[in-house]
Amino acid sequence: MKKILVVDDSRTALMMERDILERRTKYQCVTAADGQEAVEKAQKEHPDMVLMDVVMPRLNGFEACKMMRQQPSTSQIPIILVTTRSEEFYMEAGFQSGCNDYITKPIDGAELVALVQSYLGE
Amino acid sequence: MNHLNSDASRPKPSGTDTIEDLRLGAARKRLAESRDQEDAIEGLREIVANFLGSEEIGLFRVDPRALSLQVFWSFGIDPENCDLLRALGDAGLRRVMRGECHVDLADRDRSDAMAKACAFIPIRFANETIAVLAILRLLPQKLVFDGSDMELFKVLSHEAGEPLFGPRAGSQASSRGTGING
Repeated sequence: MKKILVVDDSRTALMMERDILERRTKYQCVTAADGQEAVEKAQKEHPDMVLMDVVMPRLNGFEACKMMRQQPSTSQIPIILVTTRSEEFYMEAGFQSGCNDYITKPIDGAELVALVQSYLGE
Repeated sequence: MNHLNSDASRPKPSGTDTIEDLRLGAARKRLAESRDQEDAIEGLREIVANFLGSEEIGLFRVDPRALSLQVFWSFGIDPENCDLLRALGDAGLRRVMRGECHVDLADRDRSDAMAKACAFIPIRFANETIAVLAILRLLPQKLVFDGSDMELFKVLSHEAGEPLFGPRAGSQASSRGTGING
């Protein structure tokens, strides 16, 4: 079973993303509450994809994305950043940090499922 | 302008897990699992930001005898300069007091504080409106509230009151702001 690491400091967002992905797809989810925990869990859990918020304590999504790209064990994992920030500056910063895709909140559940499936298959 | 009746907001049976049901379920679960008032307020902020697309929020306590609102908590706005009653109007305030949501997108391009008004949601507890949640300017990528947002308004209206102001909210449940008289 393919595994997705879902990262957000909001319990509400984590709950919804996890529920949607686990009930509407066949993927398994593991979660992290900030960027530092995400980097650690990515190394430990070897997820097939990372879905990550940007504005978080300890290590933000951009920093965590850069760190994952620098480490051989996580450098090839598809990373989608999910954030309320839609400004061009933030999107550019996201892609410069190494993310594969960037989607904005509020999350459209159907769009989320379609995007994840486009990377991982049905 | 759209006025919504506050009934028909009870949880749907489990098993009908459409994506929309999952979103509403996550909001319900987050509110129900709130540890105390502070956590309930954080849950409210998370729901509005993540599910409704706004980071400008005010929560106002209601004094039904004086038909007035008192700033209780806010995020991303200066509530003292938010002319809530002007945005709602007397009739709008009365409707919200009766338990109807009030949504107004008509003036959202105007620059004054009132023009930012988007949605006013009665927070119901023990069959009374005890507070009003004001959701002000939307994020740029969120253009309008849609039908599924209206369902979420009903969930907030009926299920946020207890964690915010009920017994488990704890001793912080007293009002802590300045008054706005209607």
